[in-house]
Amino acid sequence: MWRFLSARMAHSLLSLAGLFILVFFLARLTGDPSALYLPIDATEEMRREFAEQRGFNDPLYVQFLNFLASAVHLDFGESLRQSRPAMTMVLEAFPVTLTLAAISMAIALALAILIGTLGASRPGGIFDRVANLLALLGASTPNFWIAIVGILVFAVWFGVLPTSGMGGPVYWILPVAVLVLRPLGLIAQVVRGSMISALSSGYVKTARAKGVKTRSILFVHTLRNAMLPVITVAGDQAAGIINGAVIVETVFGFPGVGKLLIDSITYRDFAVLQAAVLVSAIAILIMNILIDVAYGLLDPRIRFN
Amino acid sequence: MHTGGKIVASALLSLLTATSAFASDSTVTVVVPDSIDNLDPCRTARNDVGRIIKQNVVETLTQLNPADSSVMPRLATKWEQMDDSTWRFHLREKVKFHDGSPFNAEAIKKAVARTLNPSMDCTVRQKFFGGIELQVTAVDDHTIDIKANPKQPILPTILSTLAISAPSTPYDKATNEPIGTGPFKLKEWKPGQSVDLEATNDYWGEKPAFTNAHYVFRAETAVQAAMVQKGEADLAPYISVQDATDPATDISYPNTETAQVALTLEHAPLNDIRVRKALNLGIDRSAFIGTIFSPDVKAASQIVLPFINGYNPDLKPWPYDPEQAKALLAEAKADGVPVDKEIILFGRPGFLPNQSDVLQALAQMWQQIGLNVRVQMIEKAQFIELVSRPHEGDRPVAMFFNLHDNSTGDAANSLYFKYSSTGGQSQGQDAELDKLIEQGMQATGEGRTKLFRQAFARVTNDLIEDVILFHFVGYARVNPRILYKPTPFTNNEVHIPDIKPAN
Repeated sequence: MWRFLSARMAHSLLSLAGLFILVFFLARLTGDPSALYLPIDATEEMRREFAEQRGFNDPLYVQFLNFLASAVHLDFGESLRQSRPAMTMVLEAFPVTLTLAAISMAIALALAILIGTLGASRPGGIFDRVANLLALLGASTPNFWIAIVGILVFAVWFGVLPTSGMGGPVYWILPVAVLVLRPLGLIAQVVRGSMISALSSGYVKTARAKGVKTRSILFVHTLRNAMLPVITVAGDQAAGIINGAVIVETVFGFPGVGKLLIDSITYRDFAVLQAAVLVSAIAILIMNILIDVAYGLLDPRIRFN
Repeated sequence: MHTGGKIVASALLSLLTATSAFASDSTVTVVVPDSIDNLDPCRTARNDVGRIIKQNVVETLTQLNPADSSVMPRLATKWEQMDDSTWRFHLREKVKFHDGSPFNAEAIKKAVARTLNPSMDCTVRQKFFGGIELQVTAVDDHTIDIKANPKQPILPTILSTLAISAPSTPYDKATNEPIGTGPFKLKEWKPGQSVDLEATNDYWGEKPAFTNAHYVFRAETAVQAAMVQKGEADLAPYISVQDATDPATDISYPNTETAQVALTLEHAPLNDIRVRKALNLGIDRSAFIGTIFSPDVKAASQIVLPFINGYNPDLKPWPYDPEQAKALLAEAKADGVPVDKEIILFGRPGFLPNQSDVLQALAQMWQQIGLNVRVQMIEKAQFIELVSRPHEGDRPVAMFFNLHDNSTGDAANSLYFKYSSTGGQSQGQDAELDKLIEQGMQATGEGRTKLFRQAFARVTNDLIEDVILFHFVGYARVNPRILYKPTPFTNNEVHIPDIKPAN
């Protein structure tokens, strides 16, 4: 197991380095940020001055070496927009997104397993059809629209929730609800499909023949076997939740890393972009390792080697 | 990772402790679209920064009257011109900065030097003081002479953009802790979330009715409007027309923006004046008003608003005359101008809420008169590179849908920037126009106004360098709890002392 973990980590470090180099150069392909930072009426001389002072005129490899030299001291540069260390900004924003993602994924996974399993127990039944329809709707409706409509309905019309902003638990209800929908719909579909195929296995027939209760066949015997594809998809969705988080953070005014990332791309704030990608990538790589470990725990036939 | 750990812990803690965002009696809550990224006094030319700290935290020597854009005293009580390039300003006495230091000639020297320091990214310098040197000399503690090189005939007007920060402000380092002389001082800035200002006890002017100002950031104007409707905020000064649905709370106000389509003038067919005239005649401006745009939007004849010095009242918006447009194109075609060559109409995403409708409608109207126009959206930076001088490489035959904002009270910036041969976003070259702009910028009083009017007449009647479309309006949603009247300058400044309780 430890050998597996250290090999896996070495692998991750390699991907991280590759990703990092890619982000560094790809970001700079978008062009010089001075067009965006200076007022539209700034003179050509001021633009040159700005680029010169920040080293944007240096050859790319010089910029990269300078960056590496600072990065080994854990200095990831300063944000152009905020004149603050990029890493501090990312570490301030990251917990917000992490909390949003963790709560949303936990709720989505729990509900999806319940709905998918119940649907699979009687495929084509009324519950299955309604659940299917709702899951599809959830997975295909744009988050943005749901967020705005959610605010109008629950905050403005019924007045039961705040419109936006980050505060106590009530402030998290709408954003989390919006974030849950897409993974919930998708994972519920996967649980259903995986359960249906697992339910036709020999061991289920044997269990039925032995008179084991349906509930225990579903949730004890079959579910564990059907979980592997679910975990794969759930991991993928958890990594992708950063896309949803961008919208939720923008609409509800949550200062998370999704919004930070998009803003840093729009404004060519390279230092922040790099720091945000690095932190997100580390989080995703850690999650992937955990998923691999979970495979082994769920299915003892899988060996770590 | 120690800091990281602390941040995680504090985020989790904040989850458990509910904080109310609802307004209290002494606090006015303003919801604005852009989450600001700095609070430096020398960047108040940026709307997002100016809206929060300009005249609230940091003040200027002079300010513009929103009614007619005339110059009024603020930190300077009066001024006179000493010679061509020198102005004498008399400073308000018994004024202190928030850190206790006195407001005097020395303070002005430092603040001006800091703002004009080339190693600082001061938007005030980049926007209003390009190529201008200011030499500040103390006559006595409360009298200064400012000498401008090259001479600035409207120096008092331009100085309404330069915020005076305390001498303790670092000279060559950006700061997020603005210290000024204003009625409010900065209490707290939570990046990405909010800014809080609190009233100072010893402000030289009238005490503000609200003693605290709380700014929150919401990118979506639907959310901004909903916050005021629900009472979570008192004022949303920048909602879009689609969200201004309640006549009881929503006020429209002329902002200082004008929509323009700039044209690449170096290639055929746009280098032919008949084609450019056809472009102007082929647009039914009234068809946009009350449909895509609000009924309060006005068809425009020039790039500045009527209250700006230099606006030419004799120029009228182009009439809609598709037949004449077609005739002009036919005439050009007969002379060998390739009028059916593709012209790209560039826009940039997220620039205006219903921009794609506008661009489609414009393209369609131009197609109806026989031009071959295609709409294309490009990234903001790419757009700026294409539209700005120097015109590098071979630009496509293109038109650029753009907004121009002039809140300086004077047409000089607009004329130079958009039409002079060396202006950052000008497309054409005309010696006579350059002369009018140059002479106007050196003149004062009526002479200045007259020269600028002539320049606008030259642009509109003789050169037809662009397609001027509309003067825009902004919308504010105001909670009935407060009284607030937006001005044309609201885009850049929201003066908290102007907000009063309704009862």
